Amino acid sequence: MGRDVAICTLSMDTIAHMPCNPAIGGTAKGHLVREVDALGGLMGMAIDATAIQFKLLNASRGPAVWSPRAQADKKVYGEWVRAALEGEPGISWLIARAGRILLKDGRVSGVAMEDGSICLCEAVVVTTGTFLNGLVHVGLDQKPAGRAGEPPSVDLADSLKSFGFSWGRLKTGTPPRLHRRSIDFSRFQEELGDQPPVPFSFQSGAIDRPQIACHLLYTTERVHALVREHIGESPLFNGQISGVGPRYCPSLEDKVMRFPHRDRHQIFLEPEGLHSDEIYVNGYSMSLPADVQADIVHALPGLEDAEIVRPGYAVEYDFIQPTELDSSLQARRLPGLFLAGQINGTSGYEEAAAQGLLAGANAARFAAGLTPTRIGRDEGYIGVLVDDLTTRGCLEPYRMFTSRAEHRLLLRIDNADLRLTPRGRELGLVDDCRWGKFEARRDRLERNRSTVRAGTVSVRGQRIPAERALKQPDVDVRVLVREGQLALDIADPVLDFISLETSYRYEGYLRRQTESVERLKTQELRAIPADFEFAGIPGLSRESVDRLSSVRPETLGQALRIPGITPAAVALVAAHVSGHLTR
Amino acid sequence: MFSTADTIVAIATPPGRGGIGVVRLSGPQAASIVCRFTNRERFEPRHATLVRVIGEDGASIDHAVVTHFPSPHSYTGDDVVELSTHGSPVVLDAVVRAAVRAGARLANPGEFTLRAYLHGRIDLVQAEAVGELIDAVTPMQARVAFDQLDGTLTAQLREIDRALLDLIAPLEASLDFPEEGYHFIEPGAAATALDGIAASIDRLLADAARGRLIREGMTVAIAGRPNAGKSSLFNRLAGAARAIVTDVAGTTRDLLTERVDIAGVPFTIVDTAGLRQRAGDAIELEGIARAQQAVAAADVLVLVLDRSGAVTDDDRALLETTAARRRVIVASKSDLAPAWDASALRALEVSSVTGDGFDALRRAIGDAAGAGILRDRAAIANMRHVVLLEKARDTLSRATHAASAAVAEEFVLADLHEARGCFDEITGARPRDEVLQLIFDRFCIGK
Repeated sequence: MGRDVAICTLSMDTIAHMPCNPAIGGTAKGHLVREVDALGGLMGMAIDATAIQFKLLNASRGPAVWSPRAQADKKVYGEWVRAALEGEPGISWLIARAGRILLKDGRVSGVAMEDGSICLCEAVVVTTGTFLNGLVHVGLDQKPAGRAGEPPSVDLADSLKSFGFSWGRLKTGTPPRLHRRSIDFSRFQEELGDQPPVPFSFQSGAIDRPQIACHLLYTTERVHALVREHIGESPLFNGQISGVGPRYCPSLEDKVMRFPHRDRHQIFLEPEGLHSDEIYVNGYSMSLPADVQADIVHALPGLEDAEIVRPGYAVEYDFIQPTELDSSLQARRLPGLFLAGQINGTSGYEEAAAQGLLAGANAARFAAGLTPTRIGRDEGYIGVLVDDLTTRGCLEPYRMFTSRAEHRLLLRIDNADLRLTPRGRELGLVDDCRWGKFEARRDRLERNRSTVRAGTVSVRGQRIPAERALKQPDVDVRVLVREGQLALDIADPVLDFISLETSYRYEGYLRRQTESVERLKTQELRAIPADFEFAGIPGLSRESVDRLSSVRPETLGQALRIPGITPAAVALVAAHVSGHLTR
Repeated sequence: MFSTADTIVAIATPPGRGGIGVVRLSGPQAASIVCRFTNRERFEPRHATLVRVIGEDGASIDHAVVTHFPSPHSYTGDDVVELSTHGSPVVLDAVVRAAVRAGARLANPGEFTLRAYLHGRIDLVQAEAVGELIDAVTPMQARVAFDQLDGTLTAQLREIDRALLDLIAPLEASLDFPEEGYHFIEPGAAATALDGIAASIDRLLADAARGRLIREGMTVAIAGRPNAGKSSLFNRLAGAARAIVTDVAGTTRDLLTERVDIAGVPFTIVDTAGLRQRAGDAIELEGIARAQQAVAAADVLVLVLDRSGAVTDDDRALLETTAARRRVIVASKSDLAPAWDASALRALEVSSVTGDGFDALRRAIGDAAGAGILRDRAAIANMRHVVLLEKARDTLSRATHAASAAVAEEFVLADLHEARGCFDEITGARPRDEVLQLIFDRFCIGK
């Protein structure tokens, strides 16, 4: 996009650091990564280049919920991203702790570091993760920290708070890490990844690297008894933690106390890298005292002698209610200030990457005096994410799920590029190499569609149009190609087939969902001016006026999604916006 | 959202019977839609035109007087077309259906008034109804209000809605949480649940049809042996001495009918000749034959047994042959000394002389006819609800078909969510993340 960028960080070693589970993707998160990739982001290529186990989740289900997930080689992943950024012209590095946001004429003019140095700029993207007033808990011990061993951001928190944003406090946690050599892996069930892997990035092509095994074990009654016995020492249960944790990622304490009837819970032992000695104990996140954690680890058969490298902990941190942001992720109170990631109440590397990309692109456009780019709910999970955040706010850490997307059938991993790469190109995020590949793939799909439209094939001894054959659920287009019945141009054996097959087999569903998107278009496109006065509309209740004024929807569609706002109230707003009513 | 750009239709006159009923359309397509189901090219503005309304099968439904009020000089400010027909609810429903088929959308409650307000045709004070609409009906408030409503149908709707959510939640969970070690739903369970939900909707739709039938009026035949007191009872129910009453058995020879209002529902009551094995003459024989036809055709029977005399073979024969029918058994002449115990036959004791027992009798007739569903505040006899239920039913059939054809879950779910949307329109919307809420409450999710 041609702008000069400075990255301000405490250390270049923690670029793309993964303090929690060193894995990328998962249901709906995998979709986000594909979309980030389609827009020219790095995450997909980074994980493809450094993953040590790949899995395509939901592969036995339909194409709209296929989601890639992979475990990263934690150290190598960070190094890969750092190298990629260092290779990028126009990026300079500021190794310092950001302190204050500077203003001039009511908009952002720069950032003052805690060490007193100043960086002047047109726009700032703040991505503080868990560092804003971070407080780490291990048992009854608590100390201010953004992550274990790293000091929190306090000055920056004060500076942001001085602007009058609405705040909240959230909590997340991480499990203990074990030393590889102290574990008897022969006692556990082995879990292997997919072979060959399905890559995240449209750029990657076939992946041929050694893949590791993970191991599955289960909690025992003895573990549950220990948790119950020491529950008073858990900061989650003794009132020490006020932040709200994610329900979809419960701590061991939560699992035992909230689901007393479940006699066991899954635990995965996941290596943090090919050459790393650290084993991540997935499913065992806890914040009990370190000695109790040791007992709870050793209570598991096979982990009797396990050496704990680092204990698990809980971390509380501040976030800004994302209803303070517009759909470009810019703070409405402060032009030039963009927020992304956990500061907006989300959890997860993928959610953060998606916001980071959008906020970064819009910050660059803001600096250049261009209008922001927005992604609709029908265009991508990124659109769903930003719309949910900015119209509804957060009560708990927000994680993406496929069930959040009402147009889920249209938002597939196979068409992320068709949906978003042209947009990325327009924005200047997609380079010639990626664009060339995209055009080739799009043309291939079009050619294959024409071949199908024109061709006939023989199915169960009957010659029928290929189009009709592909609509039948038991006809596999791959078989037709293998038998030489259809001459298709296939370069990517996963994508090319799936995009083609889906468009025929699920035609009716896709058409209905597209029609529903079209029906909603009128309200999604009707803009509400940024200075529109809701208070002046006769007939609009005070409560509606308050909500509309605090969320400030940009379109009638967004207004409709604000909790508590009635269709009738939006109809009133619509009538006044369109100006055919004079007050 | 209420779109203000499309054409809406609704019955404009109050529910129930009236001499004349009005169906109103408002929106840019109002006139062209009405042209489509009346075989007209255009309507002269502000002139009454007599037309025939053509139904689905191409047959004419009824005559109607059509008046076209072009924008902006109309009630709502839109193009408005009003059709006046006979006041029968069945006719009015059929006209609305014809309009919907021709491209109109069923209006939401208060939508005409809202449009009138939006176009400045009425001010806010006049549009108090709009104020209520805006303040009181957030989708969540509608849900709360709905959940507080009492009534059998409300309960049934709530149950179906819940069953749908209970099916959606584990299906969604299996898509979003494939690695949790849970079998959220057993194979085949979805199809079974879907069948159950579809059957419940079918029952509700049958009730809706019955509701229409009741509104249109049901018949009640009064039957019994000669001189049991049928005609006295008929006169009392009719509130007039319509039938000749004597002590001579077999006085009533032909059928007598009268329209009455029982439990708020219009009924046609029929007095019949006494039924007995040994008839007196040819006229009485013909009377008995007609009585038997009337009994066979009636929606509800009132069997009259004389409590002051012994129960006879004719009485027992009548009780036996009508055992499977909707009926009310009456022990008449309760002002005289009893010859048998009315409670043994679970008979209502009434006296046509004193009027004792008639309130209970009216209630019993209403109950036997199922008039209760009309008093249910959420009664789905409401046309909008019937249309939504039918749409939900169609969508569920598609889901069932897809589920049995092993179509991937997310596609089946697309249908289920669409069906749920129909229910939301009847019962008020549920919070957006209710499905996730349910999953997290029920299952231990997450690593």
